[in-house]
Amino acid sequence: MEATIEVRELRKRYGDTVAVDGLSFTVHSGQVTGFVGPNGAGKSTTLRVILGLDRPDSGSALVGGRPYHQLRNPLRDVGAMLDASAFHPARGARNHLLWLAHAGGLAVRRVDEVLEQVGLASVARRAAGGFSLGMRQRLGIAAALLGDPPVLMFDEPVNGLDPEGVRWIRGLLRALAAEGRAVLVSSHLMSELEGSADHLVVIGRGRLIADRAVRELLAAASGDRVVLRTTHRLDAMTALANAGATVAATDAEEVTVSGMPAERIVEVLTAQGVSFFGITGHQASLEEAYMELTRDAVEFGEAS
Amino acid sequence: MSVVSRLLLAEWTKLRTVPRWMFTLAAVAVLTIGVTVLTAAGTIVSGGGGGDEPSDLPANHQDAGNFRYQRLTGDGSLVARVATQADSHQWAKAGLMLRADERHGAASAAIMVTPDHGVHLQSRLGDTDIAGSAAGAPRWLRLDRSGTTVTGYESADGHDWHRVGAVEVAGLTGGADLGLFVASPDEVRIDRQFGGESMTGHPTTGEATFDGIRGDAGAWQDGDRSMPPEEGRVAEDGDTVTLAGGGDVGPTLDVEDRTRTTLAGVLIGLMAVVALAVLFVTAEYKRGMILTTFAATPRRERVLAAKALVLGSATFVAGLVASFGAFLLGSALLGAKGLAMPSLGDAGVLRALVGTAALLAVVAVFSLAVATILRRSAAAITVVLLLLIVPQIIATGLPLSVAMWLSRLTPAAGFAIQETVERYDTAISPWAGFGVLCAYTAVALAVAARRLNRRDA
Repeated sequence: MEATIEVRELRKRYGDTVAVDGLSFTVHSGQVTGFVGPNGAGKSTTLRVILGLDRPDSGSALVGGRPYHQLRNPLRDVGAMLDASAFHPARGARNHLLWLAHAGGLAVRRVDEVLEQVGLASVARRAAGGFSLGMRQRLGIAAALLGDPPVLMFDEPVNGLDPEGVRWIRGLLRALAAEGRAVLVSSHLMSELEGSADHLVVIGRGRLIADRAVRELLAAASGDRVVLRTTHRLDAMTALANAGATVAATDAEEVTVSGMPAERIVEVLTAQGVSFFGITGHQASLEEAYMELTRDAVEFGEAS
Repeated sequence: MSVVSRLLLAEWTKLRTVPRWMFTLAAVAVLTIGVTVLTAAGTIVSGGGGGDEPSDLPANHQDAGNFRYQRLTGDGSLVARVATQADSHQWAKAGLMLRADERHGAASAAIMVTPDHGVHLQSRLGDTDIAGSAAGAPRWLRLDRSGTTVTGYESADGHDWHRVGAVEVAGLTGGADLGLFVASPDEVRIDRQFGGESMTGHPTTGEATFDGIRGDAGAWQDGDRSMPPEEGRVAEDGDTVTLAGGGDVGPTLDVEDRTRTTLAGVLIGLMAVVALAVLFVTAEYKRGMILTTFAATPRRERVLAAKALVLGSATFVAGLVASFGAFLLGSALLGAKGLAMPSLGDAGVLRALVGTAALLAVVAVFSLAVATILRRSAAAITVVLLLLIVPQIIATGLPLSVAMWLSRLTPAAGFAIQETVERYDTAISPWAGFGVLCAYTAVALAVAARRLNRRDA
């Protein structure tokens, strides 16, 4: 099976609420695709439709080119963690994976393998209800990995984890993608995906906002802005504005300049005799890039 | 492994790995047996049941009344006229009886007049019944024995005889007692009120005078089995004999269904079954685990079928332990108090016991289907208990005819499988009642499967 997820013109409403509104994107193999949007943007709905749990009003979601219900053995094709607490609290962790292995026709040894893989082997017999949030996430991930599937989907896997847990999940996601799997990871916080996602699908109000490589997105968000550090803020701003740049005071000794390359800025300031002690090209964070994208989406939404 | 067997294994794994669910299954048996033991321990048996006497009496039959007989060594005949009969009960009996011996339930045949129902020839304690003319006393009666064949005749004048019929009486091998008898059933009063019924039997005393007695041989002996015993009287005045006695010879509709009595605790065990079955579904919805289940098996009706089969089978096994345990322990306890208890080999007992387990299993599947439709524990448990238990409680406060329709049309009809005897309030036969419950369950399953596939998970 080809390791892809294709979502085409997907529409889904619950009563009067439109959850997903004409959404299209593709998740490719060998990379981690971040699926980002504020809470209520339609991420979980999209994942449910991909898994055949909810029926779309129109459009389609294909896994490896087929609708989910046509997969012969879904657990071997797609692994998913939708809700980290989706187990009976009185059932042991190993038994939770055991029934799932039986349902998917998987070998029982896979249960012990994935428990080892997520680091729960030592607590395998304990009732899952007593697990910490981090352990629950690991159990949910173990369930997704059970069928060793080429396509993986995780809904908010980093939610509520401690830094060590976050690091572990990043490493796991990178490793899974490196094995050639298609990995879709949803999150409402872009920062959680920093350092793990190769590609981003950003949605808001059920619509696609961006579908780009992380590298491109960062470059676009950084723009051509330059941060200038000077004790003569007012003189610098006047000189640069007169020379045609757009300037903004961003701190007591900091001016952000756009519309003018760094070497030209140095020229102008030197000519005008304005001293400065620092000049750097601005590097946007993923969070900034995201805020910019969603701010537009919110404004767009309010205007329409 | 086939899809079916691995789904069954998956659902069985789900069921067995939640410890409290296995405790609940065990509780089905423990509660059922416990309630039975408590009830049995609290039962006070009053009055003598003749428990020590050797008895061939089938369950729910009475073999009482007064009997005055001659011992026959072979074939023989007896003629007498029932001159008068007291109207102690519409089914009071006065006539001639032939019986193998004096034991309760011995092989017998009798021809009799009744105040309201004419002449009857009966054997097997009334289970074989041939109606004669509509005449009452005074009436001439005759009973002939030839081997195991007993023939009854009636006549208005003692000359012009009319043959009522003949019955084969198995077990009538050697000698026999042939004589006059009177019997009179208890007057049964039933007080129905919410939550129960009280049934009281008031003994009536039958009395009749016989004359024109022409027997074959021997001295007259008394074989009084009157209930209560003090009612039995014999008086001779020349050729006229007056017999009085209480109790009936025949089947009783007012008796306790003692098999069913020992199974009363099943109602409590049933609550545990309903709760377990509902939680087996709703626990998955509550925590979103149902998404994992349906992602693993997109054909949702298969999940439903596997759940039903696994839970039904597990409940059936627990139900067998519950019903056999309750019956055996309850019988031992009540038997020790002198009550005549049915045995496993008696008619309907095995059906009631295995049927009770099947009843619990079907109720489990019904609850499962309702829970799948409603997806909420409280709502599902309420609906199932409303349909199963409330009709039984309400029924006791309603007029009998309305109560009977409730017991026929609601899923509570399934409890009929526990009946081993026909009673005055028997609404529906055991299998038909069980069928009603199964029909409700099939419909609920069909609706559940349809909703599973049409609705979002």
